[in-house]
Amino acid sequence: MSEEYLWDKSGEPDPEIQQLEQILGSLRYQPSALELPTETVTEHRKSYLPLLAIAATLVLTVFAGLLWFSLHNRAPKTGVTKVVTPAVPEVSPKVIPNVMPKSDTTSDTTSPSEKKQSTAQATVPRSNKQFVARDIRRVHKPEVVPTEEALHAKEQLMTALRLASEKLNLAQRKAQGPASPNQIRNQHKIG
Amino acid sequence: MKSLLKTLSRMPLAISLCLIVTALTVKAQDAKIQMAHLDHLASRANETVDVNIDERLIQLAAKIFNDKDEDEAQIKKLVVGLKGIYVKSFEFDNDNEYSAADIDSIRSQLREPAWSRLVNVTSKREGNVEVYISLGGPQINGLVVISAESKELTVVNIVGPVDLEKLAKLEGNLGIPELGIKPAKQKKEEQ
Repeated sequence: MSEEYLWDKSGEPDPEIQQLEQILGSLRYQPSALELPTETVTEHRKSYLPLLAIAATLVLTVFAGLLWFSLHNRAPKTGVTKVVTPAVPEVSPKVIPNVMPKSDTTSDTTSPSEKKQSTAQATVPRSNKQFVARDIRRVHKPEVVPTEEALHAKEQLMTALRLASEKLNLAQRKAQGPASPNQIRNQHKIG
Repeated sequence: MKSLLKTLSRMPLAISLCLIVTALTVKAQDAKIQMAHLDHLASRANETVDVNIDERLIQLAAKIFNDKDEDEAQIKKLVVGLKGIYVKSFEFDNDNEYSAADIDSIRSQLREPAWSRLVNVTSKREGNVEVYISLGGPQINGLVVISAESKELTVVNIVGPVDLEKLAKLEGNLGIPELGIKPAKQKKEEQ
């Protein structure tokens, strides 16, 4: 038996080997394309995180929008402050009732067109009135209600200062002494 | 590490500031004299004035001074930095109700260099008046006035920065008749 057959099938074949080849031939490698099974069960893990993130973003956006909208709506009311601020502290409380629209009295006597005018006029001061009321609260500090202790302390303080001032002046007067007539004469001469 | 070094470098400054504040506080407190030993005179006196106002009470009283009132505004300015006002005044029916020891006990606390005597008027007929001041730099830290008349003994102790001129001017503004003492400059101007 030559070994050539075993190497490159060139020599004389051995019948035993040929038999073995026939038996194992069915198991020989046959190159073919990969065939994937058509019915594959894929298990998707459902993740809710992205959905939650989107929902949270939307909620935040809506909330921010509402907040901005509410603030933006308030802004025109307070916007008057810029114009009226310097004059506000001088506005006396008596002026406020005049600014108020007298809806009860005017509604009976005036025509519809006048009513419109009056309401239109009334709307402007109303915003001012609101502002004035608000600003007065801001500008005027609450008055300090004097307590009994404070009043007593003030009284004592005044008494002490009276005495101190009186005695200090007494010392000054005594230190200066009575002015002699000669001194006065000299002063006249110089003057 | 750098921040630690920075903090450590600032420590001496902070400590020195604390020391200065403490020293100033102690100095201000030094201007307070003991007058409790005069209390025994109250039983002999016809009229007694005893005023003890500490810093807290001064601040409390200062709050209720009306700033719109010129006099009260002046008083407020005068007292606002004070640490305390203490007055003891006794009026007797008879002469020699108090002893020289009573006055000496006050005088003994007013020694140099902490205190310097500004005025000392001795008169057998009108009594003695002494004015002491405690100086802290250019500012007056404390004032003591001892007025010892035949039937009256008054000790005034003001602790804190005192404006003597303003204090003297208070007489006449607090319901006390003015004694007609005017500074020399003012007299000249009037002439």
